[in-house]
Amino acid sequence: MAVINTSAGNEAVLKLYDIVGDGNTTIIDANVLSIPFMQDVTVNNATGTFRYKTLDSGSESVVTTPATNQLSLNAIVDDDVFFGAAGTGVVVTDGLFGTSGNKTEIGFRIYFDGTDSGSKYLEGTGFISGLAPTVNPDAPLWVTPVTIEVNGDFTEAAVTP
Amino acid sequence: MSKRTDLISQITTNIASYTAFKVSSELPFESGETPLYEKNMKTVYIGQEDLDVTEYAPTFSEDIMQTETTVNAYLTTDAKNQPSDIDSVVAGILAARTGVTNVFEQSSQVETEITDDYITYTFEFNFTNL
Repeated sequence: MAVINTSAGNEAVLKLYDIVGDGNTTIIDANVLSIPFMQDVTVNNATGTFRYKTLDSGSESVVTTPATNQLSLNAIVDDDVFFGAAGTGVVVTDGLFGTSGNKTEIGFRIYFDGTDSGSKYLEGTGFISGLAPTVNPDAPLWVTPVTIEVNGDFTEAAVTP
Repeated sequence: MSKRTDLISQITTNIASYTAFKVSSELPFESGETPLYEKNMKTVYIGQEDLDVTEYAPTFSEDIMQTETTVNAYLTTDAKNQPSDIDSVVAGILAARTGVTNVFEQSSQVETEITDDYITYTFEFNFTNL
């Protein structure tokens, strides 16, 4: 048992990448877009529920419905990451803005404490949404929320040696 | 150019029409124990920059740091017979903060202190950049 400490040089890392073939999560390194300058990140696995009442019970009963899975974060806007840059892979060349605008389904991995061997991560596929870059004179760096609307499940895994 | 250099340039411009006043870029500005602005009245002396680097935005990959720069300037005049245009000169010196570019926060303030028969204006300029 141990806490996951991101302040010990093993920070949370988010990588986005093109989906290869039929949607498997094989990662081609050149096509990976690592999101820099993340200020916070939230993994949201909200299991849906349906509540109902019966005459023979004093309390409601509940059944589960499919979960809504999201990954949301706030990040300082990096020019190349937001607008895209030369390279290979749709995510890299289109950037967050282009990928969102084109409604391109992407793969993602959120590493909980760095990318060293043994580090846990969640992966899945989804769509970039919720971009809302903002800036003001007293806070002169553009900051944007980003939401990945996850298509299906989060899959848990660990970095292999 | 340094912020001090920009500030000297802008103060010089702003008070150029008040010919009784001068701007010195000399460092240090002490003669023995006496500051030169007390010796050479109606001359503005600008101190060296003080820097304070602090965290502006922590992120997982690389913290964004900000640099706060403080520059002091000094001007002394006769306290009993102040120059008629001293208010304009002080305003011009305070406004010189706009001559420093590539900052996202800038401010200036002045404090006065009367000693014997002279008055010393101590200006403080603050600039913040990333």
